[in-house]
Amino acid sequence: MTQIAEVAQKMTRASKKFFYDPSTKLDWPEHLDASEWTMSPELVSLYGTELWASMSEAEQKKLSFYETGGFFSLVLNGERPLLEGMSHRLYTLEKDLEVTEYMHHFLDEENKHMMMFSTYCRKYLGKIYPEKKIPVARPMAKGEDDIAFFTKVLVVEELSDYYNVFMSDDDRLAKICRDLNRAHHVDEARHIHFGREYLKGLWERHASGWTQAEIDSFRGWLVDYINASWRDFLNPSVYRDAGIKDAYAAREMAIHSSVCREHRNRASVRFLKNLVACEILPKVPELQ
Amino acid sequence: MTEAEIKRALRDWIVDRAKDKPAEMHDETPVLETGILSSLDVVELILFVEHLLGAEVDVDDLQAESIRDVNAIYTTFFAKG
Repeated sequence: MTQIAEVAQKMTRASKKFFYDPSTKLDWPEHLDASEWTMSPELVSLYGTELWASMSEAEQKKLSFYETGGFFSLVLNGERPLLEGMSHRLYTLEKDLEVTEYMHHFLDEENKHMMMFSTYCRKYLGKIYPEKKIPVARPMAKGEDDIAFFTKVLVVEELSDYYNVFMSDDDRLAKICRDLNRAHHVDEARHIHFGREYLKGLWERHASGWTQAEIDSFRGWLVDYINASWRDFLNPSVYRDAGIKDAYAAREMAIHSSVCREHRNRASVRFLKNLVACEILPKVPELQ
Repeated sequence: MTEAEIKRALRDWIVDRAKDKPAEMHDETPVLETGILSSLDVVELILFVEHLLGAEVDVDDLQAESIRDVNAIYTTFFAKG
């Protein structure tokens, strides 16, 4: 049995053990208390900026409420193409039945996450923040499409997991927010373990046949993609809803803030070190 | 803002954003197929368009051709009256 099949078998056992119904998994309150945080203040995207320092605690909590909606919308929107891409690769790219069995659980759990995140947004926010992406094709080396797909899967999972773990036990937060973050983390821990192994295998299979220019091109794209993913956290629509007058300027402030940049690097380091260990990146890059 | 001001703001933003600065930047210069902007710059461009418009835009039905060059960006987002 291959290493990835062994990992898949182990993850399948865990998924069966922790199987749940998303409609009854969490205890949803009718309303959220405006005096509670819904996102840990240290994770709010403007934390550390002059604007954040100028806000009252009530204003900060209001921003944390909309940021939570933005965060859950972002993860939800990230999981949608994940479901499409994973379904497309079942029994085509991947034919090992041990691996495909786990991929079915993976898909099931991602669908459940989308249901829970959309329930939160619908119930408390009344909307999902939309993506602003327009599909643009780029030239790719042989196998790069699959590597890029599983890399994107890992980016959304690894970055969101940092937030999930941070907030799972933060007693300042409304209970539903702690519970939702914890529920997502429990499944994502398996997805990340599997995803790292799977991506490593794909990289070893395909990149060995690439030219150095193709490898450099992919690595350049990957670092740009991670930077762009962090910028997705900085959503002017969220800032507008929270009552910030110049939402675009607030976003620019967060992009250029050294405190925010340190946060982005700190939250990414575990993920980046793993990419280095897999030789997908030659060294841990300094993110913007 | 007038059409000329909007197009100038778009050109300036694109040049500022480009990793490799183009020798020339006209309203009909293709920004994606020439690599002036990458696929990962698209969200930033849309947010800048929203900033200029002072309103949010829906991109669900848009394709790369909708933002091919400054003229296309203007037609897609600003010329609807």
